[in-house]
Amino acid sequence: MTFDPQGAAPQRRGGVQTVKMVISGAVNAGKTEFIKSISEIEVVSTERRATDDTKLIKKETTVAMDFGRIAISDDLVLHLFGTPGQKRFDFMWEILSEGMLGLVILVDSTRPETFRETNRIIDFFISYRDTPYVVAANKQDKPNAWAPDELRLALRLPPQIKVLPCRANDRDSVKSVLLELLDVILQRSED
Amino acid sequence: MALVGNIRDFGLSDFLYLVDRGYKTGCLHLTRGGDTASLYFDKGKLVTATRNNIAAPVADLLIAKGKLTPQQSQHAIQAQRSNGGTHIGQVLIQLNYISRDDLQQLLQQHIEESVYTLFGWPEGDFRFEQNQRPETEALVMPTPLAVEHLIMEGVRRIDEWGRIKDRIPSTDMIVRFVEQPGEKAKGINLAAEEWRIFARINGKDTLSEIAQKTNMSDFDVCRIVYGFLTAGLVDVLKKPRPIPIDAAGRPIQEAPRVKKSLVSRIINRIRGM
Repeated sequence: MTFDPQGAAPQRRGGVQTVKMVISGAVNAGKTEFIKSISEIEVVSTERRATDDTKLIKKETTVAMDFGRIAISDDLVLHLFGTPGQKRFDFMWEILSEGMLGLVILVDSTRPETFRETNRIIDFFISYRDTPYVVAANKQDKPNAWAPDELRLALRLPPQIKVLPCRANDRDSVKSVLLELLDVILQRSED
Repeated sequence: MALVGNIRDFGLSDFLYLVDRGYKTGCLHLTRGGDTASLYFDKGKLVTATRNNIAAPVADLLIAKGKLTPQQSQHAIQAQRSNGGTHIGQVLIQLNYISRDDLQQLLQQHIEESVYTLFGWPEGDFRFEQNQRPETEALVMPTPLAVEHLIMEGVRRIDEWGRIKDRIPSTDMIVRFVEQPGEKAKGINLAAEEWRIFARINGKDTLSEIAQKTNMSDFDVCRIVYGFLTAGLVDVLKKPRPIPIDAAGRPIQEAPRVKKSLVSRIINRIRGM
């Protein structure tokens, strides 16, 4: 099977079909945790001790990407890719977005200082591709978390885009976000 | 739960947009060093504002402006107490000490000026307390003020590219009206140069093209469009990429979409996890 430039078709390697979802968001939005909560394999992360200002936010931050995997059946596998958060790794986003089935944008609901960056990420992924995506309002269990409705207004998202409450460290919450995204994808898929 | 942050990261105009579209009622408290401000909203509209916790009673302001005598003030305060919680402004109107229009004009002018200076704050902590209401003696306007009006006036005072570029990163972007801009535009009074830009918005021209056609600078066009954008009147979009063509010059067909059956299999698997 060949690569689909619209980013919706699966790839087939050695008889196993693979599909890809991308998890993106600003630094410390919870991408690594999100993938860890749902992946069947130990998440492949290239975490290093941060050398720039991200170390002010957390001791270790993702400098390349995370990779998780869910076997759907013997012949179908879902890959989950977490994008690097820092601006200097923007070039990776283009590569990761190729062939993706859909996109989850994670937002740290407690940190309005990341909302502009979140908008920049959304803009990057959707400006040139009609990518199905949802926004996951992470850390809803924390004090002073902005509610999904408030995040919709803060990020100026159109009404058709789902903004979902999320806790990236909770498997059921992550499942719920992925199912909502798959529902969006299903509406746009063909018989 | 309170919404907290810093206007360095989430600007005052962005917050006003959120208050407006979310029909929020409550108080936005701003703090910068020793300077403080409190803006009270009712269903998305501004009803009053105070600076540095100095909440001059309505009666004092009106006496200072020569619109009320001290005796009328005393009488109104007594009437307010016996009315049990009716706002002082309402009592003054009921007693015919001042007309509704005069009261609105005086309070609006006073409140607007205290709010506009806040747009010049480069940073400052904010905290929005939902459902917090002003005291009954506060300078509450009879007719609450639409925030689009405040946003436009506030944006007129922005003189730096940095904030504008957060929303308008390039002059190659296209400007288009959002749906039903007429409804939102009702609360806004545009200056002449803003009308020049407004009339040029057609969903096709880029900001730089609008600048050329109006003989205005890129900065001025972007600043004005930033105001429209923040007030929710327009969108700015990247120019669409040209449709790729093949060697024979024909447009390349879109690839087929993913199959429903495949998506359903993934859904069933994740549901069962």
